[in-house]
Amino acid sequence: MDRPAPAKFELLVRREDDEDFELRQVASVIGYLNSRPRRIDPQSYEISELRSRVAVAPGFILKNTTTDRFLLLSAQERFLWDQMDGATSLQEIATSYVLKYGEFDFDIIPSLLHKLQRAQLLTFEPRSRLRQALARNRDRRVVRAIELALTGLERIRIASQNVHPFFQLLYRYGGFMLFTPAAIVACFGLALIGAGAAVVLFHEMHDMLDGFGGRALVGLVTVKLLFFASVALHQLVHGLACIHYRRRVREFGFTFLHGFVPTFYVDITDIFMASRRARVVTAITGALVHLVLGAAWFIVAAHAPMGGFTQAFAAASGIIQWQALVVALYPFCFIEMDGYHVLVDVLGVPTLKHDALAYVKGLLSGTGRGRLGREEVLWVGYVVLSTLSVAAFIAFNVWIIVSATS
Amino acid sequence: MPVSAATLAFLRDVRVFEAFADPELAALADRLRERELRRRQILFREGDRGDEMFIVRRGTILISKAVTGKVEQVLVRVEPADFLGEMSLFDGSPRSATAQAETDVELLVLGRDSLQTMTETAPRAAAAFFYAMVQVFMERLRRSTQQVAEATRWGLEATGLDVEAR
Repeated sequence: MDRPAPAKFELLVRREDDEDFELRQVASVIGYLNSRPRRIDPQSYEISELRSRVAVAPGFILKNTTTDRFLLLSAQERFLWDQMDGATSLQEIATSYVLKYGEFDFDIIPSLLHKLQRAQLLTFEPRSRLRQALARNRDRRVVRAIELALTGLERIRIASQNVHPFFQLLYRYGGFMLFTPAAIVACFGLALIGAGAAVVLFHEMHDMLDGFGGRALVGLVTVKLLFFASVALHQLVHGLACIHYRRRVREFGFTFLHGFVPTFYVDITDIFMASRRARVVTAITGALVHLVLGAAWFIVAAHAPMGGFTQAFAAASGIIQWQALVVALYPFCFIEMDGYHVLVDVLGVPTLKHDALAYVKGLLSGTGRGRLGREEVLWVGYVVLSTLSVAAFIAFNVWIIVSATS
Repeated sequence: MPVSAATLAFLRDVRVFEAFADPELAALADRLRERELRRRQILFREGDRGDEMFIVRRGTILISKAVTGKVEQVLVRVEPADFLGEMSLFDGSPRSATAQAETDVELLVLGRDSLQTMTETAPRAAAAFFYAMVQVFMERLRRSTQQVAEATRWGLEATGLDVEAR
């Protein structure tokens, strides 16, 4: 018998102008992918490895100590169980699985969820922790205002799920050239010339921001806005890379990440079904947009009249583009950006951030293991490097703002 | 003002007036008011008082019910020759859902007074009207029951809850 299509709700979401609204179709599968399964309390279960001379692959026994129910888990199921921390969505768990095992078994997650539910080993967390905390304190006026603001911003989402043909056209009519040896040579050639221009520029310029005159703040805001447009370009190139490897671009749009970070995004999760090389190239090419644009800005700045507005504007744009390149490719900053995805793909540790934070949290609270093996060194290294990097990044930006305004 | 042939032809397609004789239909049409809504204009809100039903002549009306905050669930789209707001016409209770024009809309409005007059002056037509109305109510009840089942299925699919195994 054919399975029925997933159930759908049609919802009407009102805007600020009470008569204006937006209609949204919400399929049950969206709710499913965004659900966050959570293991029961650590005190309520035990897990141990099942050793056997016969079985080739390791197995695990999971016991609910409250109900005395036992489950036999495979290594893959054990991996999924470890992801079910209440903060990771099923979609993210599935992505981690693909990164870890290089393939996807469409039945493993639903069947494991059923097994865990039957053994009462699972609960579900439908929303982010921030939103849960806000909901708990909704009686406070400030919290209610923040919640309303976040909800309002989250509703701002301009996206299309029918972008694949557009990206295919873009690729066919010129986009393919980005993935040729000539483009790679041109990219790094431009980067070298740009770096040379930057070095010359900063030797000659007394203070880059002098060129803005009394319009430093306006100048920097304009630079930021222009940079924002390049983020869209960054996402477009990710999409083109996806097409290059014959995978599907599912969505492209603009939204407020977590309700407050404006950003463009492209859904290229289909690339996880391609080779590791394809994933790495797709991640890196998007970031290279900032390398090219930064270099171009530095070359413009080097040729602009010394101390003028154009030079200051171009130099500031170059800095911000290369800063974006570093942020995108630098994996140690607690944010899962392009560089982080490349790192975990290369290391074969798809849950690096999650495991590292859990381990260090355990160490700090005195409940973690003190033994330092390869994995533990990796985890501690990740957290230490990320903490230092974030601190340095904040300090650098504070310095820029102070320099601009003083 | 004489009722146009187009209005009479339209009313003939409205299910609750199907059994009306021509003179009864003309008399009824005489008592209907015309009303226009621009796109997105709200006809009535959930909780409003009301004693009129509306027949959609052109365009589409969205019927929605508040779920949470500014989110409402779309229950149904009312298309031409269909009608809405009949519950308040009969029992005068507050509107159970919000009605809003999805497109530019033309309506014909039947008030409680007109219904009362029809019952007194054309009892055969009134009986046919009520009989057809009961049939429509039953269909809508079936649809509501189906929507409850769909909502339950949505919840089960969204949570992956394995009820059969419990």
